[in-house]
Amino acid sequence: MADITKGTKRLSGEAEGSQDSKRVKTNGDKMDAKNPYLAHLEEKPEADFESLLDKLERRNTTAKQAEAVEDSDINPWTGQRHSERYFKILKARRKLPVNKQRQEFLDLYHNNQILVFVGETGSGKTTQIPQYVLYDELPHQTGKLIACTQPRRVAAMSVAQRVADELDVKLGEEVGYSIRFENKTSSKTLLKYMTDGQLLREAMHDRDMSRYSCIILDEAHERTLATDILMALLKQLSERRKDLKIIVMSATLDAQKFQSYFFNAPLLAVPGRTHPVEIFYTPEAERDYVEAAIRTVLQIHACEPEGDILLFLTGEEEIEDACRRISLEVDEMIRESDAGPMSVYPLYGTLPPHQQQRIFEKAPQPFRPGGRPGRKCIVATNIAETSLTIDGIVYVVDPGFSKQKIYNPRTRVESLLVSPISKASAQQRAGRAGRTRPGKCFRLYTEEAFKKELIEQTYPEILRSNLSNTVLELKKLGVEDLVHFDLMDPPAPETMMRALEELNYLACLDDDGELTPLGNLASEFPLDPALAVMLISSPEFYCSNEILSITSLLSVPQIWVRPANARKRADEMKAQFAHPDGDHLTLLNAYHAYKGAEARGEDMKKWCHEHFLSYRHLSSADNVRAQLKKIMETHGIELVSTPFHDKNYYTNIRRALLAGFFMQVAMRESSNSKVYKTVKDEQLVLIHPSTTVTTPYEWVVYNEFVLTTKQYVRTVTNIRPEWLLEIAPVYYDLSTFQKGEIKNALTRVAEKIRRQQAMKASKA
Amino acid sequence: MGLAAAKNKKKIGLDPNNTKWSRNTETFGQRILRAQGWKPGEYLGAKDAPHAEFHTAANAAHIRVVLKEDNLGLGAKRNNGDECTGLDAFQDLLGRLNGKSQETLESERKAREEVKLNLYVMKKLGPMRFVKGGWLVGDQVKATLENESAQENSEDSKEKSPSSESAADASSIGKTEQSNDEEEKGQKKDKKSKKRKAESEPEEESESSREKKKKKKGKREQKDKKRRSDSEGVESESNGVDGSEDRNGSSTIASSVSKDAETGSSSESKKDKKKERKNKKKDKKEKKGKKDKSVSDSGAESGESIPKEKKKTKEKSADAVSSSAPTPTESSVPTPSGSGYSTPVPTGPSRYLARSKFIAQKKMAFTDSTALNQIFMIKS
Repeated sequence: MADITKGTKRLSGEAEGSQDSKRVKTNGDKMDAKNPYLAHLEEKPEADFESLLDKLERRNTTAKQAEAVEDSDINPWTGQRHSERYFKILKARRKLPVNKQRQEFLDLYHNNQILVFVGETGSGKTTQIPQYVLYDELPHQTGKLIACTQPRRVAAMSVAQRVADELDVKLGEEVGYSIRFENKTSSKTLLKYMTDGQLLREAMHDRDMSRYSCIILDEAHERTLATDILMALLKQLSERRKDLKIIVMSATLDAQKFQSYFFNAPLLAVPGRTHPVEIFYTPEAERDYVEAAIRTVLQIHACEPEGDILLFLTGEEEIEDACRRISLEVDEMIRESDAGPMSVYPLYGTLPPHQQQRIFEKAPQPFRPGGRPGRKCIVATNIAETSLTIDGIVYVVDPGFSKQKIYNPRTRVESLLVSPISKASAQQRAGRAGRTRPGKCFRLYTEEAFKKELIEQTYPEILRSNLSNTVLELKKLGVEDLVHFDLMDPPAPETMMRALEELNYLACLDDDGELTPLGNLASEFPLDPALAVMLISSPEFYCSNEILSITSLLSVPQIWVRPANARKRADEMKAQFAHPDGDHLTLLNAYHAYKGAEARGEDMKKWCHEHFLSYRHLSSADNVRAQLKKIMETHGIELVSTPFHDKNYYTNIRRALLAGFFMQVAMRESSNSKVYKTVKDEQLVLIHPSTTVTTPYEWVVYNEFVLTTKQYVRTVTNIRPEWLLEIAPVYYDLSTFQKGEIKNALTRVAEKIRRQQAMKASKA
Repeated sequence: MGLAAAKNKKKIGLDPNNTKWSRNTETFGQRILRAQGWKPGEYLGAKDAPHAEFHTAANAAHIRVVLKEDNLGLGAKRNNGDECTGLDAFQDLLGRLNGKSQETLESERKAREEVKLNLYVMKKLGPMRFVKGGWLVGDQVKATLENESAQENSEDSKEKSPSSESAADASSIGKTEQSNDEEEKGQKKDKKSKKRKAESEPEEESESSREKKKKKKGKREQKDKKRRSDSEGVESESNGVDGSEDRNGSSTIASSVSKDAETGSSSESKKDKKKERKNKKKDKKEKKGKKDKSVSDSGAESGESIPKEKKKTKEKSADAVSSSAPTPTESSVPTPSGSGYSTPVPTGPSRYLARSKFIAQKKMAFTDSTALNQIFMIKS
């Protein structure tokens, strides 16, 4: 019975979809399929089962009514019987702290357009609040969905799965998710989890967000770039669309900022399920925080009762090193004494997912019954601060540092540097210890340092990023007045200027600051503007296939694997792919080799492992490539290649790189120096040691300018100065250059070109 | 970073902050922003925004960070470990010029010397550990314990292994031994039941200075004691006060560098090694206690500065564990305590280490049935 209903629904949906298809160009090849973006325009067929929901009045339900519906044997959303598992889950759900305040929540929700909700981790807000809204909004009556944004893709996927289980429906039907490059929703979807970036992209095409009747911004305290922009957009939109409800959910208690930003919206706070955490400081500052951290962990292992340890460090290398040392010391401890076993797990963003999963393994058993308990120790970056919940952690060791991305608009360097955390972040870290029982947090700094050296709040991403992509998005979203755009944390004016300037040079903005057709097209790509422009102009250089590959390789993490114990072999393997002219071409070679091996039907995981390449990143680059290709096809960008045996094959690619990266060029300072000077900004840089380029070329184009221990440019390729003048004449207008070697060199080049042209002309 | 520090050459460009760009008012970005009504020095964002009170400097200019090239902990100064000779005298001079009284100067000087001495001993000899043994009242030993927190009690009860108890007895009772036997037993029981312990009051002992002392866990005493005992082994002090003190503290001398021991109790021992320090909060104390406890071979890592030393103690706890099989104990407790082991061997690379390793391996083998089978060549 239910199947038939589905069938008819889909049929009617298709008919509708095809009518609308002309209006929506973006959907390209999906024209004949159902257009999920327009689901709300369809007429919903009447459900053929009697649902208890029909008795409820939209936006006027009570917690009691909703609970009665939840308790019934029949699933109100599908008409099927509830499974046993459903009731088991339901029982657990009723125990969540947030459940006690369901009525209070509904009252506030009914009476206000915007609501700020604070619930500590473990309160159940991410899974429950959207369901409370679901039972109140009754989206199947209006056809308007409920959206809940998450900063991370993994969270969006896993939470959607969980909520589908809780509602006893299939993921992708009533409950779905939508993340970049993956959309698991259908015409039946009522509740949609999505990344904040995804909602932002939808907003570009539907500025009123007319599909949604309620938008929930979860984890707003993380203040990602996309969440910040969404908040500003929703704030504007709330004036235009009075029927749109907005809930801002945060996990930290400093919600006043959110409240005052959203017209003094009312606040609802739900306590988390947390236990007290005892805080310890060191009496004196530490000379070496890594050393101190390792000792603290060992001491905890030796002296403290059962309970797992979470240690925060800053980066992959540091973490792996610490893990190794802790394991060694613990082994020694076990050999020498009656210490319990301890398993040590690293945890950082670039770790493959299956290894990330290992942190959820149980702590090891004692060596013999009644022996000292085993425990696990997780050494993590700050991703364990908010994003992940690991139960069983009782001890937290916090050295007070994390790696943070910082952008300097003056020198245009984006750096990932170790810097002190904020007080808020320190409290979050400590809070991790109290999830299952009272815990302890050992801070490897003095209380005075905590008070004096730490800033109050971590800077939101918008203050730490290059905004050129954001500005392009804002323009596309129809924001005209960038100066008075009401962001919660407006960025530094210089950052904004730099972004505008870059977009202007890339010809994405015209001289009046308006979006150009090129800019419009570039905003369709989920890429940095420079990459997007490079991709769009690549057909002019007859190498769009290759540039497409390079672009996808540049938008995933490093594909090169260089394990500490096999550095030399890894470098040798990399050298096999090396192209003498540059790292971009080396990347391309590796990718071609990868595709070649794949075509031969080799075991790709093994192949990648043998060649010290990251299978995960290569395959995700492959995926990105496919997605970008689709976008290119949709917009009629040709996919062409120069024949491989043509002598201009690589030259064309190198020239095409400049079409997007002409602002990222450096010239060698003097003939026997390793130091390069960036064009215009005149910063002294070195080529990053990871390069495969061995010849000291005069001019290079680089992909990124990073500050680690020194200023480095990474991923460089040799170019010729003539190309600069030819491809980016506006930027390389010599009158705008400061006196110096670069200007002299370019002037000489310009002279030469002129002479050659004169010669040609005279010959002709 | 003295003259001897490693040189770190760095070439810096003419305009590392690119002020040329930021001063240029002709850039496209600046033109657009001005055209939209922005003036230099203003924030971006809505006019008169209610949330503007939350704006910080980061909203006005890009965030500046310091490039961190070392593992220096938060709040640590780079030259923290360096010592400059003669500065002490200079400080005294400055103090006099600032009108400090001779007495305060004297006490400061003393405190400094204590620290020095303590450090020296720590480096040279390594720390000693003691176990609580109760208070000597008149000629009876009583359970100590003022109203210290329940934690301490719990620790005691948890940690004290029988062996440590006896060690405590042996070490601290001294001449009063016999008379106290019974009492002692009672005390053990007490230790096991937290409540009773908590109740038992400090008794007459608690003259004010004494109390303070106790709170400090009698570290000084111990230190003093430890030194002596270094040569003599565990010894019972003839001085009843000291003995009881020890008992209370049951600690190591260790990182005595702690709090405000300066208090009045100079009468007891001159070895006031503690650095003067402001009164710290309770939790701080606890932390310290924890560190203290984990004492051990700071000797191994000599030449470290004070803070390091402290940390060291932590590691040591691990080391100590390995060298002297028994584990130290609960840490978070305010007591410096005692894990129950008397005198850990001053670790060093020595032959003890190899030997203890050997013994440990043997022990392991004996608990492992397959290994035993192999040893006795039994085929299972």
